[in-house]
Amino acid sequence: MDVNQYLEIFLDETSEHIQSLSDQLMILEQEPDNTDTINEIFRSAHSLKGMAGTMGYKRMQNLTHDMENVFTEVRNGNMKVNSNLIDVLFKALDALEEYEKVIRETSDEGTNDNEPIIKELNRILDEGLGKAPAADEAEKTEDEGKSASDGADSKDKPWQDIKLSEENISAIKDADEKGLNIYGVGVHIQESCVLKAARAFLVFKAIEDIGEIIVTNPSAQDIEDEKFDFDFSMYVATAEPYDKVEAAVLSVSEIEKCIGEKVDIQSFTTKEEPKETVTETAPAVKEEPKPKAPSAQAAQNKQTKPSAGKPVVNRTVRVDIEKLDVLMNLVSELIIAKNSIVSASSGEGMANSSSFNDHIGYLESVTTNLHESVMKVRMVPIESVVNRFPKMVRDLSKKLNKKMNLFMSGEDTELDRTVVDELSDPLMHLIRNSADHGLESAEVRAERGKPEEGSIFLDAYQDGNNVIIEVRDDGNGIDVEAVRAKAIERGAVTPEQAEQLTEKEVIDMLFQPSFSTAKVVTDVSGRGVGLDVVKSKIESLGGDVSVKTKLGEGSAFSVRLPLTLAIIQALMVVVGEEKYAIALGSIDTIESISKSDVKYVEAKEVITLRENVIPIIRLHGVLNIDEGSEDKDEMIVVVVKKGDKLAGLVVDELIGQQEIVIKSLGKYINCASRIISGATILGDGEVALILDANVLI
Amino acid sequence: MDELMLNSEVEMEKTQFIVIRIGDEQYGIDIKYVDNIVRMQKITRVPDVQSYFEGVINLRGEVVPVMNLRKKAGLPDEEYTKDTRIIIIKLENNAPIGIVVDAVKEVVTLTSDEIEYTKGTVRNEQVTFINGIGKCNNSLISLLDLNAVISE
Repeated sequence: MDVNQYLEIFLDETSEHIQSLSDQLMILEQEPDNTDTINEIFRSAHSLKGMAGTMGYKRMQNLTHDMENVFTEVRNGNMKVNSNLIDVLFKALDALEEYEKVIRETSDEGTNDNEPIIKELNRILDEGLGKAPAADEAEKTEDEGKSASDGADSKDKPWQDIKLSEENISAIKDADEKGLNIYGVGVHIQESCVLKAARAFLVFKAIEDIGEIIVTNPSAQDIEDEKFDFDFSMYVATAEPYDKVEAAVLSVSEIEKCIGEKVDIQSFTTKEEPKETVTETAPAVKEEPKPKAPSAQAAQNKQTKPSAGKPVVNRTVRVDIEKLDVLMNLVSELIIAKNSIVSASSGEGMANSSSFNDHIGYLESVTTNLHESVMKVRMVPIESVVNRFPKMVRDLSKKLNKKMNLFMSGEDTELDRTVVDELSDPLMHLIRNSADHGLESAEVRAERGKPEEGSIFLDAYQDGNNVIIEVRDDGNGIDVEAVRAKAIERGAVTPEQAEQLTEKEVIDMLFQPSFSTAKVVTDVSGRGVGLDVVKSKIESLGGDVSVKTKLGEGSAFSVRLPLTLAIIQALMVVVGEEKYAIALGSIDTIESISKSDVKYVEAKEVITLRENVIPIIRLHGVLNIDEGSEDKDEMIVVVVKKGDKLAGLVVDELIGQQEIVIKSLGKYINCASRIISGATILGDGEVALILDANVLI
Repeated sequence: MDELMLNSEVEMEKTQFIVIRIGDEQYGIDIKYVDNIVRMQKITRVPDVQSYFEGVINLRGEVVPVMNLRKKAGLPDEEYTKDTRIIIIKLENNAPIGIVVDAVKEVVTLTSDEIEYTKGTVRNEQVTFINGIGKCNNSLISLLDLNAVISE
């Protein structure tokens, strides 16, 4: 077996641990005495070290080893956490991320030793320990030693169940004669673990680095075939003390606990071996591992504690996204097939057969459920993207020398996986933008009577068929006049034109390429790439970006994204003789309006609906269709919404609600005004176009 | 005679073309790019697109755009007849695209000496979609340059 096949698991777990380290360090910065956090960090560093070691990434192992050392001392109360330490740890974290990146690209860790960080860590360690009272340490170790041995006593000895063959016994004897220690070891894998066999393999590999495995229970073959529950046990022959063995086992992640002790050779050699030789050597060796055991034991004790409190992790299976796409396409086909049966039944007098209708109803509920579950499989929480932001804001705060905090809500909001993957950059831009352009310097904030610390908010929530992610700050807001002046200076508009522009039009200019209002170009933003990239990215995902701002009070960038990409509920309408679909999610109401209710404002047609003045859009005009018999007395108006803006679309006829499968028009056809977002195939095989109401408003 | 034919066929590189009619002219389309030939069906108009696109059709569950070569080549428009066909073209890894033609006549096999390529001798705008002339049974077939037809 080759370690490379575990590279992917390694990388995934590494990023998980790095993320957890980052989260915990953020907490630790706020609460330097939080022992749970310290333990958590220790554990993550420890697991990372073990994993890196197993995979043969020595540089990464060294760095994590030093991080772990520092935390061993912090945990034992020998040194205090200070901001200096946190800074260095964050640097170390960046270095780890770098390793991960390099490994992901080249499967090699690169050549950067990160010497300065390691030195810094060791310096802090020395400094910290210099101050620590020695007595305290001794006491502490003793305590832990005690608790560790207490823990060990309560555990049973699963390796005693191993049935030894003749060869096993002779192998054990050989090992004993060579002066090696024989340990019985029982390993329990976390019940949430998906790849048990892989974990077991990593455990074996870790042990084989320091010794030899004589026999396992179940057999090696059964373990490889995953024919075991969550426990396996073995006899190990090694020259190393027991705590090394345990540390090796625990270095593999998802191992819940490892128990074991030195085995009395006598128990299986009584027949032939004289008793004395064994009893003499055994106590001597047995003494040795005990004092060293506590650190590993303690780590393991603490490891089991919090995991009991946490909810059991959902069982997951990694599935290639392409396979899901295939499944999705099949569901689409099924829905089209269902739609054609529905239309066939209404067309050919079969409708009077009630059982036929029942079957269609059944088929409909099956396809709807199937669709929903396939969609859900593709949904992931945006957490994986936004959980990097607290650290980013912290870095920005240092870099820009402004005090700021990030408040996030709705991290569990779910979006299609393909959308989530693309979301990271645009959101990062928006947060940087808020931190750099939005928030004022501390002096200005004090002058304005705002708290010294700036706040950035990231709120995500679902709104109908859309997900809204809002990035807000309580900073300066957008200075519309400054943008106007900038636009003139850049030659984008003439001074006369600039006068004519509304506030909204001016703000929209920020989304044009190469437009930055920052007076000083900083490292963070202000290079003229940013908002235009955000806009084009979000639009390519089928969403849009809008801004609300108040000078002196802050601004809010709101990103709207479609929840699903492939199948939607839509309202089918008729315009002229053509059928169009409008996504149900963007429809507010459907109204019947009499011709006399249409008023004119600035030569545009509007209607008043529940005290709102709503512009109406005649789809005939937009879609280049002859209006035919001019103006009926009653008009059917589909009121669509985008955020809090409304517009009424005038249609000729309503067909009804239908589940439609969105198909792309392909790259050949170029819809200039982009009002057509795609096409769908109706039950009778006809193609209907999908209107993008967001573009019309 | 038969032997002679055989010999020349072995030596010559052969290409099969589908011969179509647009107006009075015959055009050849390399058969390896032809995915399908379908009868005229309901084409859904797409507003606000390039004028030579007729719209989109449903080809076994796929939405396929359809262009009108007459419009693209600047020829006068004509009513569809019972002979009108849509040829579905698929270029390498690109999505399929349909081309409306007045009629599909036959499949011919041309050897390389029966084809005269017109590299660089194009004078008139209407023939920019042609990259060669094939001689077959005493008639001339203009060979369509599909890349030029499909690109803007």
